[in-house]
Amino acid sequence: MTWLAWRQHRAEVFTLSLLVAAIGLFLLVAGSSMRSLFPDGAAACAGGLTDGSDACSTAIRRLNEEHGYASKMLSLLNLVPFLIGAFLGAPLVARELEAGTWQFAWTQAVPRMRWLAVKLGALGALTATLAVALTASITWYRQPLDVLNSRFTTDAFDLEGLVPAGYALFAFAAATAAGAVLRRSLPALAVALGAYLAVRVVVAGWLRPNVQAPRSIMERVAADDATLDAGGSRISTGDRADWIIASGYADPSGRHLSVYEAVEMDVAARAAGVDFSAYMHERGIQQWVLYHPADRFWMFQLIEAAIFVGLAAALLALVVWRIKRRVF
Amino acid sequence: MTTTEYALRTDGLGKRYRRTWALRDCTLSVPTGRVIALVGPNGAGKSTLLRLVVGLLAPTSGTVEVLGQSPAANTPQVLSRIGFLAQEHPLYKHFTVADLLHMGRSCNLRFDQGLAERRLAQLDIPLDRKAGALSGGQQAQVALALALAKRPDLLVLDEPMASLDPVARLEFLQALMGAVAADGMTVLFSSHVVPELERVCDHLIVLNHSRVTLAGDIETLLAEHRLLVGPRTTADLDKAGTVVEASHSDRHTTLLVRDGGGPTAPGWQANPIGLEDLVLAYLRRPTRHDVEAPAFSEVPA
Repeated sequence: MTWLAWRQHRAEVFTLSLLVAAIGLFLLVAGSSMRSLFPDGAAACAGGLTDGSDACSTAIRRLNEEHGYASKMLSLLNLVPFLIGAFLGAPLVARELEAGTWQFAWTQAVPRMRWLAVKLGALGALTATLAVALTASITWYRQPLDVLNSRFTTDAFDLEGLVPAGYALFAFAAATAAGAVLRRSLPALAVALGAYLAVRVVVAGWLRPNVQAPRSIMERVAADDATLDAGGSRISTGDRADWIIASGYADPSGRHLSVYEAVEMDVAARAAGVDFSAYMHERGIQQWVLYHPADRFWMFQLIEAAIFVGLAAALLALVVWRIKRRVF
Repeated sequence: MTTTEYALRTDGLGKRYRRTWALRDCTLSVPTGRVIALVGPNGAGKSTLLRLVVGLLAPTSGTVEVLGQSPAANTPQVLSRIGFLAQEHPLYKHFTVADLLHMGRSCNLRFDQGLAERRLAQLDIPLDRKAGALSGGQQAQVALALALAKRPDLLVLDEPMASLDPVARLEFLQALMGAVAADGMTVLFSSHVVPELERVCDHLIVLNHSRVTLAGDIETLLAEHRLLVGPRTTADLDKAGTVVEASHSDRHTTLLVRDGGGPTAPGWQANPIGLEDLVLAYLRRPTRHDVEAPAFSEVPA
């Protein structure tokens, strides 16, 4: 039975392994050149852009110039966990139903539940393995960026740690289930893509910031704060690796001010010939920020990965139930 | 007779898809060693019955037993005793023939690779060819070789020759019958073409509108039925419930009766009936009659 699973899916296994290997190779080359910008390690320049030494400012300028494509490239890599999972999952049941070969496969001496267990087990494990390999090469590539920036940005959080394997397993389960219901591989792939994008957008955009209550800081504007900007507060949390959810100004009672109100104050300050910060300080205006501290990274990873693995388990249970019931 | 001497027994077997019954009230007993033809028009429920027999479907009602075991249990033991050739003989088209044999070996408890290789060599089917590159007749032969290599006690074939040209059809039938003669297994196959059955089958099941309308050993069935030809009459002739079908021409009335023979009423002449006419008569019947023969009684006239 394991031989059959291997023979049936080896083409997808080869193609996807090749894809992950090619991405890994590219990241190795690009990552090496990124690292060569920081001979003493990126940590030496992690103090911040403004107070860095000359060497650091040059390195960071060159990083922005020569590796500015990284962000776009990394957002494209978000699709790779989908490709891994969906291309292994979509044909798993659907191809048998499409070609009528389910009648051939399930009348050998392998009971169909065992057939399904071997296939789901082997291909699911492969999905997770390929996703972990992808994650490892992306994490290695991003090391200088992770030292300089927060790992909570979507560029980093979605591609590192535990979640990519969770995304891939979810794609695998969604494609398998869609294939078992629709009975055709290609529509199953399309449905799985829709589900994958929808769930990821909802989880990343709405669920993730609310996994735990964000911390907040609110403090009165200093009279001599030269960095103050009417467009929005730039209050610091003290750690550049923290994840800022939102920030802004508030009146003495703590009511959040709109951008419009802040701009009006700026105009009034100019008309009065006073510094913006002094004007704000005098009126007791406060700055606030909502953020998740950097050390929540692994807990957030764990929770989000658990959500996707849980959804995957539910979808695979649907597949098992359908095939056990013999509705075909 | 112990239960295992029946190749197939069903009791009140039924299968419903959503709200329509594909098969109802199917009660059959078929002894081992028979070659059984399952006949009926398209959509009569033949494939449903065969899938229930091989365990691809689970019954909605009733029971099915193959060689004393329930195929719905789907255990390796019962699966390995049944060989199945589905309609259109599906195979993995991108597998070579050798791959398919490898699959047979890795997915079965017993698999007689030598037998399969000998059969394929006799037919000049190359092992390194992809299944999808073979002709339809060759694909059917490969599927048959794979099913026979399981050394099944019951071989089930769903319209095995429907998609084959006449030459391939004949070759397939020869291969099948050769295997039956050599192994003595029970064979159950469905068809909607009656003439090809007559030479090879000794047991018949007629399925119409999801119900079994006739079942039994062909010899017995032909002996029980006869055609009576007499003067035209439109009176109700079926007092004893033995008339299967009545047809009228200008001057004559022809009755197909199931009465087991016996004396003929004056003015009536009795003729034997062929298998094809018998099957057609049962397929034409609009409503259900009992499958079991009623008590034999005198013919009306």
